[in-house]
Order: sequence, then structure tokens, then C-alpha cells
Amino acid sequence: ERYKIDFLVYIKALLCSVAADIISTVEFNSTGELLATGDKGGRVVVFQREQESKNQPHRRGEYNVYSTFQSHEPEFDYLKSLEIEEKINKIRWLPQQNAAYFLLSTNDKTVKLWKISERDKRPEGYNLKDEDGRIRDPTTITALRVPVLRPMDLMVEATPRRVFSNAHTYHINSISVNSDYETFMSTDDLRINLWNLEITNRSFNIVDIKPVNMEELTEVITAAEFHPYQCNTFVYSSSKGSIRLCDMRASALCDNHSKFFEEPEDPSNRSFFSEIISSISDVKFSHSGRYLMTRDYLTVKVWDLNMESKPLETYQVHDYLRSKLCSLYENDCIFDKFECVWNGSDSVIMTGSYNNFFRMFDRNTKRDVTLEASRENSKPRAILKPRKVCVGGKRRKDEISVDSLDFSKKILHTAWHPSENIIAVAATNNLYIFQDKVN
Amino acid sequence: MEYKVEAHRIMSISLGKIYNSRVQRGGIKLHKNLLVSLVLRSARQVYLSDYYSGACLNAQSEREGNEWDITDSEREKFPPSATECDRVESTEEPQPNEQPEKEREYRENDDEVKSDQVDCTSTLQEQNQNSSLDSVAKVSSETPPESITEPKESPSDSAVAERDSTPEANGESHQPPKPYVCSNRKRSAEESESGDSPQKRTKVASSNAKEDEEAEEMDTSNVSNLITIFGSSFSGLLSKESAKPEAEAEDSGQICCDQMLKNLNPWSTAIVAF
Repeated sequence: ERYKIDFLVYIKALLCSVAADIISTVEFNSTGELLATGDKGGRVVVFQREQESKNQPHRRGEYNVYSTFQSHEPEFDYLKSLEIEEKINKIRWLPQQNAAYFLLSTNDKTVKLWKISERDKRPEGYNLKDEDGRIRDPTTITALRVPVLRPMDLMVEATPRRVFSNAHTYHINSISVNSDYETFMSTDDLRINLWNLEITNRSFNIVDIKPVNMEELTEVITAAEFHPYQCNTFVYSSSKGSIRLCDMRASALCDNHSKFFEEPEDPSNRSFFSEIISSISDVKFSHSGRYLMTRDYLTVKVWDLNMESKPLETYQVHDYLRSKLCSLYENDCIFDKFECVWNGSDSVIMTGSYNNFFRMFDRNTKRDVTLEASRENSKPRAILKPRKVCVGGKRRKDEISVDSLDFSKKILHTAWHPSENIIAVAATNNLYIFQDKVN
Repeated sequence: MEYKVEAHRIMSISLGKIYNSRVQRGGIKLHKNLLVSLVLRSARQVYLSDYYSGACLNAQSEREGNEWDITDSEREKFPPSATECDRVESTEEPQPNEQPEKEREYRENDDEVKSDQVDCTSTLQEQNQNSSLDSVAKVSSETPPESITEPKESPSDSAVAERDSTPEANGESHQPPKPYVCSNRKRSAEESESGDSPQKRTKVASSNAKEDEEAEEMDTSNVSNLITIFGSSFSGLLSKESAKPEAEAEDSGQICCDQMLKNLNPWSTAIVAF
């Protein structure tokens, strides 16, 4: 039985796209016009939203493939005898400043700045070479002409404009563009580096938590992000479940935090796996810059930047897994890194789960919904039905029991359009785009 | 004991993960290996402390008979007081002040507390098993006065703690968190309640008196140190396991462990270099 939720009355499936490889990151650009996905094979696929057309009103706002390019290739570090995976860990768009689009994409070691631009004209009528490009014999030229631009089929080109490499000993897990539009930071397990977008041969280390003696390591950095409009402020999360807010004006090396967010552990929930499930897998500022959202294995938490002692809100994503942590440890699922996103108005948060389920929480009404991204349930224009996991006792029809969940179908990456109710959900190698129903 | 089976299983799984991470594409994932090593450490502590306590309890009950009845029942009521290994014995400091610190240390994987516990049990296993049990029993018999008096010193505190299900309520009730932490781990691994863990905890504490010197020699408890410990004592663990009915588990565990032993030291070197 369907039920309505205030913020999103119906959800309509718009597009199902199959990627050749497992999708590893999804990101809308700042206007929502473009949607980029990165995959395990190092490829980036960019979708563009169709312009609304009076002729075909029912096709409003569908996303079609705009550009595809190979961002990263597998590399080999000869010094350490290690292969460097080409998997794209993160994509972040730069704000648009001219006709071209720019994005940063990163694998474990190298960040690249890509320029995506359109070409729909080409020059014709050169003097020194003919239409095929072959050089003309100058003695055969009897008259001069001015080359002219003629229209051609639209071509979208992606070119690498900058390569930021050799700055990370450990695996890069995050990149974040600063609101000053001049700098960005890249984060690995132990260090955070600050770059200028124009300069590739230098970066500044702003956080370093590597202990002098590696044997004393107890904590790693799991994610980091710049404040949406305070260009001196950023946060980073740790594997111990804490978040540190740093101010770059305080000192060059931001090892000392300005604020420290951590919730005391509940001793009644202690188990072998307490440390693993408290590790934060994603941290995101709200659009307002007032709140922080963190994701650990079982919950999503919203923090008020002004309150460090405990989160403002805690949402249970799939608490029924708490009793299954040992099995999830065995099959490695407990190490899955789920991401979380805000909607444009910061009133709803979304995150993924298993069995191709993803969850939305309305912060105002405190209502939540579980939806499924699967081919069977989402024909184009179909309406998504809320799903329910049965935790015990009698299983109702349409409910699914915990033991029937498919843990190989995990939704780790989701994205929300910056201003509209359009969401992108990556389910292994399928991309789903859902939109509010339009009357 | 079921705790041991579960803890041993988790240890084997963890070692397998560490081993596999070396051959994974993309190199060693520092974050994942750190988490696995934390689980490994926790499981090992539970496994060793349980085993040791159980063995001592059996040996002691043969000798002491009724003399221990009171102590046992008291220990059931006051588990926290004898949880700390060397400190509780060596000093008669007020318990409430110690416990929160230890609780924090325990949770933060601090050197002293954990390595002490680990050390005393690991070095114990390196010795001949029978003689070690005997020596432990003797040590235990020597220290009963302390063990008994400590619970009596702060009966109100511990009693409060026993009834209080939320240990963080006040300073006085800080005693229970540590054993509650330990026993909760076992419970969650077991998914069942058990009330005999406090008795075993006491035995661990009483035997540690003689392990103090050795404890201080060990390095900070950490990933590679844990591996070093494993490298030397894991064979000891395996030989004890031979008495267990679960042959299959130990076989695969043994193969796994043998492989581990060959690879652990190079890995620890790798992670330091890493």
C-alpha cells in the first residue's frame, strides 16, 4: 500500500542507464544541468539534461549521455611494486564560468582537471592545406581566401587541463572544491593537501595525522569537505567516528582543530565490531552551511556546527543489521562505504542500503521511506512503491525479510539535484534517475 | 567455551583478510587493515582471557574447594574490582578514579592496559601449558587475600554498578564499564547471556602479578606488535585447540595461521614502510 510523503509525492523513473563497469561516484554540477558518473574502469560518463520543449512536453528534463571519456588508466608504481587502480573515487564539478564545463576526477593517487566543451563549427577554406589536411604545394596556390567557420555536427570534447600528481602516499578518498574557486583539497588516509587549480607542481599539506611511529596508528581520515561559502573552513571525518572542523586562518598546518564533534559511545552496544561501525564513511555540509551530515555503517547523523557534544538528529538506516555484524564482517560488507546527500533545501537527506534499497528521511516531518532501484520495479514513467523490511515476526505481503536481502546489491552512491527533486542512484553498474511526478 | 570458538573464528577470518589484502589490486588499504587489526586484537583478548580464566578456574577449584565459595559468589557480585590485571593488585587506589581512566584507555587501545593483558596471557602460553597452569594456580592461591578484600572495600560501589544498567551514571558506577565492556563483547559475539565471566576475570587478574616485569618489556600494543605476538604464540594457541571437537575449523585455521606466520613479519615491515 502506497503512502504519501509531503516532500516527494510520487517518484517517477526516468532513465535507466547501464554502465560497462561498476559505478563508483555520482555527482550533479552546480546547476543540475549535468550529471557525471565515474566507474571502476576509470571512465567518466557525463549526462546532460534535455531542454524543455513545447513539442514534446512529456520528455521534460530527461538526461542523455553528453560525453564519455577515459579519465584514469591503471598505473604501476615501480618503487613499491604496487598497481594503482584506475577506479574513479570522486568527481567534483567546478562552478561554471564560461561555455565550457570543468570537473575534477580522482583515483587513488592522481587528481585531474577535465575540460568538457562543445564544438559545433569548424573552419574551412585554408590556403596552405586542403580539406583533408594535406599540405598543398605552395607553387600551386594562385589565389588567397579567408577561411570561414561552417556548422558541423555537435561534438563534445573532453580534454585534461591539469594533472595533480605525486602528492599522496596513501589512497585518496575525497576531493573538495573551495568556494573561493581558486583552490581545492585532496584527502588521503593520513593527509590533506591544498592545491591551487592553476598550479600542479606544488601543493600545501594542511592536515597530517601520520604518527611518527606508524605502529602507533589508531585513526585514519575517511572524508573531508570545504564549507560551502566560508573558504577558510573545512571538516574531516575519522575512522573513530569523530569530525574535526578546521580554520585555515589559524595556522598553516591545521592539525589542531577548531571544533571536535563526537558522540560518546553507547556502552550497551559494544561488540567486536563497534569500532568498524562507528567509522564515518561520508561527511557533507548542508547547503546552508549550518549543519553537517555524517554516515556511519548503521546510521546517518545531522550535526549542528554549534554543538559538538552530540548530533542534532540520528536516523537509523538499517538497524536490523546490528545483530548480523559478524556475518557482514565475514563477507566484507561491513566495510562498505555508504555516502549521504542533502536535498536542495536541506529538509530531506538520502542514503543507500542493501538489496538496492535507498532511504530518505524528512527532517521536518520525521517521516522516512525506503525505495528500491531495480529494473523490475522501475519501468520508465512508473511510480516507485515504498518498500519495507520485516525485522521479525510475521512477514506481511510485499515485505522482505532481513535474511532475503541481497547484500551484493548495494547502493553506495547517490546524488540529489541542487534545486529540484531529481535524484540519481547508482546500483552497481546501473544508473537510475528519478524525478518528482509532473502533472 | 562458545566464546572462544567465536573469538577464534573471528581471529581466523581477520588474519585471512589481512593476508588477502596483500595480494589485492591497488595495494594495501590502510583503513580497512586498521579496522581488521582492531577486531583481531579484540577477539584475541577475549579468546585468551577466557581460555586462561577457564583453565585456572578448573585447576583452582580442585585444590581450594570451599575456601573459594565465598570469593566466587562475591566475584559474581563485584566483577569490576579484579578486572585490572596488575594495577588492582599492586595498588589499593580508589577504584572509581581508576576505572574511568582505564575505560578510556581500554577503548582507545592504549598500550599499558591492553598489552598488559595480552602480554601476561601470551607469555604464559609460551611456557609449557601444564606447568603454567600450576604456577598460575599457585600465584592465585597466594593472592586471594587481595582479591577478597578488594570486593569488600567497595561493595556499595560495585553493588550500585551491578544494579545500574547504565554505567555512566556517576563516578561511583564507573567500576563496571570495563568488565561490562568485555562481557558485552562476548555476549554480542555469542548473542546469549552468561554470568560466569566475572569469575574468569578475577583469575586473570590474580595471575598477572608475576607477569608484571614481562608486561613492561613489551612495546605499545599496535598492529605490527600484535603480529609479532602472534608470530611467537600462535602455535601455542593452535596446540591447545587440538583438544577441541571442531577439527575442521582448526585445520583451516591452522593452515591459515601457518600461512600467516610466514607472511606476518614481512607485512608488518611493509606497513611500517608504507
